Amino acid sequence: MLEIRNLHASIAGKEILKGINLHIAAGETHAIMGPNGAGKSTLSAVLAGNPAYTVTEGEVLFNGKDLLSMPPEIRAREGLFLSFQYPVEIPGVSMTNFMRAAVNAKREHQGLPALNAGEFLKLMRAKRALVELDNKLAGRSVNEGFSGGEKKRNEIFQMAMLEPCLSILDETDSGLDIDALRIVAEGVNKLHNSHNATIVITHYQRLLDYIVPDYVHILADGQIIRTGGKELALELEESGYAGLTAHKG
Amino acid sequence: MQDLQLIKGEHKHLVIAHVSDETAQWHITQEAGSVLTIHLFCLDGEATASHDVLFDIEQAGEHTETYIYGLGVISGKQQVNVRTRVRHSVPNGKSNQLLKFAVKDEAQGAFIGELIVAPHAQHTEAMQTNRNVLLSPAATMHTQPQLEIYADDVKCSHGATTGQIDESALFYMQQRGIAIDEARQLLLTAFFHDVIASLGEPETEERIQQRISDKLKY
Repeated sequence: MLEIRNLHASIAGKEILKGINLHIAAGETHAIMGPNGAGKSTLSAVLAGNPAYTVTEGEVLFNGKDLLSMPPEIRAREGLFLSFQYPVEIPGVSMTNFMRAAVNAKREHQGLPALNAGEFLKLMRAKRALVELDNKLAGRSVNEGFSGGEKKRNEIFQMAMLEPCLSILDETDSGLDIDALRIVAEGVNKLHNSHNATIVITHYQRLLDYIVPDYVHILADGQIIRTGGKELALELEESGYAGLTAHKG
Repeated sequence: MQDLQLIKGEHKHLVIAHVSDETAQWHITQEAGSVLTIHLFCLDGEATASHDVLFDIEQAGEHTETYIYGLGVISGKQQVNVRTRVRHSVPNGKSNQLLKFAVKDEAQGAFIGELIVAPHAQHTEAMQTNRNVLLSPAATMHTQPQLEIYADDVKCSHGATTGQIDESALFYMQQRGIAIDEARQLLLTAFFHDVIASLGEPETEERIQQRISDKLKY
């Protein structure tokens, strides 16, 4: 589904990603862990097409297509979803209008007719239940005045609405208490199936107790320095990043 | 220049949907207890290169109220200058001004808001808000609030800001599959929302919204 080959990227002239290689197949969950500044969030931003970053080398194939040549909205319509570490507040734009525009843009891309108002509201109701998102929140402006936990639940709600084939969860656990973490993780697990894939970016092992990865990759200084199974995350918890990065070279 | 007098207790809505020589310049006097609400929409095509809009309003009787809601999309090589002068000459008057402009291409916009509270016009409540968004590097907006307050027992406030469209919000919307033009439209619809909603007539609001969308198209 996703093939990253020798990806280099920089921001403001500073190289952050220094040759990333990663293969992700349908049905898989991959965790990317690493110390602060390793390039975890840069990787998610580059895959989503954030214009602040420049790709200097390498290629990314998404379902066989050249991902890096697509504008961000086409990547999204092709099925790539990023759950933001810091979801953006958009005062004055209602969740309903925002989601209707997003869902119908994707449907048009797939050659499907737009949903009518009734169908759309029914879909909103069904998906809201998945992450226990309050009806009141759905009626408000996008993320405006939401608590940290509500913002993260709202990200997973949007993921449920858009049914992406590849979801990247960027530090979805940051700022969540244990109850919110469980709700968010359960939502992610319910959405997972054999046709989609998930990348979980996290600093801590805790989230991986709830979203169990098939593979764990350790990112340090812009490169993947180790790959293993879920036990690698536990090893990391024991020895810390310093212990693991010492193995490098 | 149009002269207009609101008699005692009169309520008047002035909707200016198209700016022309006949509708651009106003001199208005309000007698006691009158309420004036102005809705100004500077959305005319680029064929009209420049507008000078003036509302010169005097509250001549007590307990009068003045509301000015205005918006504009200024594009191409247009120059649009909007000037308001609200004079509180007697006590117990109220006024509120809310003006928002989006400026694109190489257009130039200006808002000059004069608010004058005479020495004996105590218990005046006056507010003025001006918000502007620049949509291209060559677009300019000049904003100049001028408050002259000579009475001491009054409530007056003003605020003026000029900024760019929120890039992080644009990217967030694009990441959900919304094309950048539509994302911009949604953000600007939100920006203008309170001014449009001041009309309180859904059909007219929809027409105004459509004209805003048409003028914002790239």
